[in-house]
Amino acid sequence: MSAQGALRGIGGATVALFAALAFTPLSNGLYDVLVPPATPPEPAAAIVVLGSRVDDGVLSDSSLRRALGGVVLFRQGLAPLLVMLGAGSRGKPSEADVRVRLAQDLGVPATALLADPRGRTTRDEARMCWEDLAPRGMRRILLVTGSEHMPRAAALFRRAGFEVVEAPIMELSSTVSQPQARLALSRVLLRELLARAYNRVAGFL
Amino acid sequence: MDTAFIVVVVGLSSLAAALVARGRSRRRLRSAVGKTLETIGLAAVFLFLNVGVGFCLALLARVVGGRFVSLYHSDDVTILAVSILQALVWQWSREAEASAGP
Repeated sequence: MSAQGALRGIGGATVALFAALAFTPLSNGLYDVLVPPATPPEPAAAIVVLGSRVDDGVLSDSSLRRALGGVVLFRQGLAPLLVMLGAGSRGKPSEADVRVRLAQDLGVPATALLADPRGRTTRDEARMCWEDLAPRGMRRILLVTGSEHMPRAAALFRRAGFEVVEAPIMELSSTVSQPQARLALSRVLLRELLARAYNRVAGFL
Repeated sequence: MDTAFIVVVVGLSSLAAALVARGRSRRRLRSAVGKTLETIGLAAVFLFLNVGVGFCLALLARVVGGRFVSLYHSDDVTILAVSILQALVWQWSREAEASAGP
């Protein structure tokens, strides 16, 4: 096949994939396959909220959702300690610090809060968290992160030594029907699939 | 509903374009579709390359430079836009070369 023919084939496949992801429920089906349904949260020794992103002190949408999810679990009395994770840039407040301030503003006592801004990847976060919590005898944790991120995150935290109770946060609706929203859902799922593949190849999972 | 709306809008504008271009041969239309698919294929190749190179650079910075670079940088939507631009430039430069002759 000529280079021109190959490019036309790739182009045709790209258009077909785009149409399938945007105009059919393919991405919704993929979500159901890749993301297990949530179960009710159970009591644990600590609630651990995974990092997402902060820009100059402003939490990203997913970071805010996760932080609020953690605060809600704390207020339900499911654990006595709320651990906020999330790194930051040099000289700027870390995501963990911004979230701790938010939790305090929402009524969580400072004594029940712990910020750890050291982890930059999920695997780092699992290791750092183990360093924070294992010496306190806290092994059973309620893990808070996005639904699509949860299977990988839970596996990494279990590998670090924790007994994980999953408390996934819905960051995207799985039943979206708008083409743009379906494409956004596909992008998130593709990114997570690549991250899972990378973690497997690197031997982290 | 959203999907149907978009399909109707695109269908109507395509119909209008077909009416304007009435006189043009089917062969030319087929050729235009082929060239469009070629450009989209090129954009996909550039996107794959850009994401792959970005991924490798981030890992290299971590391993060799000891500096953390997030793999999620390659996820930025502007990479898609730039890949399309790269494909267009490549395609037009080939066209210009072909029309300039030997």
